[in-house]
Amino acid sequence: MASTALSPGVTYRSSRLHWLRDGINWLYVLPALFFFCMYMLYPIIEVVVIAFTDYKFLSDKPMQFVGLANFINALQDPLVHLGLWRALYFTLIFLPGVIFIPLFVAILVDRVSNPTLASLYRVILLIPAVIPGPMIFVLWRWMYDFEVGPINTILVNYLHLFTYRNAPQWLGNSPLTIPAIAFVEWWWGLGYHTMFFLAGLAAIPRELFEAARVDGANEWQMFWNVTLPRLRPIFVILVVLRFGTAMAVIDEYIIMGGFNRALPTYTWTVYMWHLAFNIGDWFQGYAAAIGWIGAAAMLIVVGFLFYVFRDRD
Amino acid sequence: MHVAAESIRPAQAVATYPRRKQGLRLSTVALHAVLIFFCLVIILPLLWVVLMSVKPVTDAYSGKLLPSQLDLTHYGYALQRLPYIWRNFGNSIIVTFTTVIITSTCAVLAGYAIVHLRLPGKLLLVSLLVGTLYFPTRLVSIIGIFRIQASLGLINTLPGLILPYVTLNLALSILVMKGIFEQISPEILDAARIDGASSWRILWMVMLPLIANGLVVLLIINFVTAWGEFLLAYTLTNDQAMRTLPVALATAMGGFGEWVWPALAAVYVMAIAPGITAFAIAQRWYMKGLQEGALKF
Repeated sequence: MASTALSPGVTYRSSRLHWLRDGINWLYVLPALFFFCMYMLYPIIEVVVIAFTDYKFLSDKPMQFVGLANFINALQDPLVHLGLWRALYFTLIFLPGVIFIPLFVAILVDRVSNPTLASLYRVILLIPAVIPGPMIFVLWRWMYDFEVGPINTILVNYLHLFTYRNAPQWLGNSPLTIPAIAFVEWWWGLGYHTMFFLAGLAAIPRELFEAARVDGANEWQMFWNVTLPRLRPIFVILVVLRFGTAMAVIDEYIIMGGFNRALPTYTWTVYMWHLAFNIGDWFQGYAAAIGWIGAAAMLIVVGFLFYVFRDRD
Repeated sequence: MHVAAESIRPAQAVATYPRRKQGLRLSTVALHAVLIFFCLVIILPLLWVVLMSVKPVTDAYSGKLLPSQLDLTHYGYALQRLPYIWRNFGNSIIVTFTTVIITSTCAVLAGYAIVHLRLPGKLLLVSLLVGTLYFPTRLVSIIGIFRIQASLGLINTLPGLILPYVTLNLALSILVMKGIFEQISPEILDAARIDGASSWRILWMVMLPLIANGLVVLLIINFVTAWGEFLLAYTLTNDQAMRTLPVALATAMGGFGEWVWPALAAVYVMAIAPGITAFAIAQRWYMKGLQEGALKF
């Protein structure tokens, strides 16, 4: 590769030459760009196009442009409404636990003065972060299993709080399903999110605490007035990012719930997948429209969250 | 006034010092108790699955948490008798290895160019990458990805999985690398450039040793994503022999047949062991990498 413009000191004869010489640096970005365009940008654009057609994958008939019909139908589809509410319900249970528990744990780990213990805690908490999500959901499907699962085993055989007639049903058509899945997410994200907050805590200058202490602030006041404002950027990013991921969750619903419409795990994402790859002639046009409606609903809330959390200085 | 304040302060310090020290000790006990509780919550489910994999079958179905005797036969049984399990393992290894190499290479090259080279349109690129983190790309694009792979004849093939897998974590990987490259002073670069090194040589000879810790983070993140990917594999393969481990595990229902619970648990332990082992070995560099900016973007 040629020696390209690295130094800000070099002057160029014309701006076109400048663009040409710096443009060669795009060669470094080219491999990433290829995959990005081919398997992210292009499929997304294609899904936009399909959403305006009656495309069915298994049908021999050529696809026809149907205008906004898919979107109008989807907006009136009770399963789409139900699916969006179910996703929102999950998100509202999921979000507090995935933000506040790691914040609490990070503050505790930050106070451990013994360096060996501090790093041991970090390593143990991070173990779930190196287990892939779907594997975690498989594990917890077993944990929650009505008969073999250790949770009911402990409740029935060891604590004798229940019998196998009235033991709680954690997954399936049960009010416990969504909280149970949210708990799995808390478990999985605990270590990783704790690391985020620890990085934020480490970035706070110690002098701030000393200054506050000299001014007579107690621990709680220091937390409220020094720590929290400094963690705000991390806080905002985590809330907004996790809101987005929680609304679009699908793997855990398929693995822990399957494709039963009556279950609380049958959200808009599962409905979309089911339509596109399983039901009838695979109604991919309609499914694409549902995908976009869900994504748009999410983006509106994400925008709203950014507005709420904007810097007011 | 001045004198009074100064005379009070030492007295106060003397009065509060012993009580504070005692309180500190009590709170230290509470601190560790709470942290040990959280660690147990993390470890116990994993311990359960490990114990399940070494239990005699009768223990597994009679509700005993601890095995009455050690039974290691399930591992051999799982590998020999379960249909396609070798294929599933092999598929996962090939797909993961290739994906991690490609994604990490792309991310290192792009991250380097974004931080240390002049790149017209840099801002646009970075905002596009950040934007994808807030958009459910995986979900919205899946129908399109399926159509592309179907038209290329890549359904039920390993390249059919690898190609879209690269994009799963690409944006995040580039942003992680950007954070890591930003920790390296541009003066090092200028010095190397004055010595006549090309940008390629600088990346290869100067930068790579400096980003080693960050690279560990990148490799582990990408390994975890690719090793456990479920949705695309579930969508793009329907042949048992072409499926990866997570799909095989997620679609296997424990029962009395060939997928007897302890055998299932044995497959599970073998499936998560590589990641945890790699993490245990690379843990020191991983932690350093996280501190060096992998979490700053």
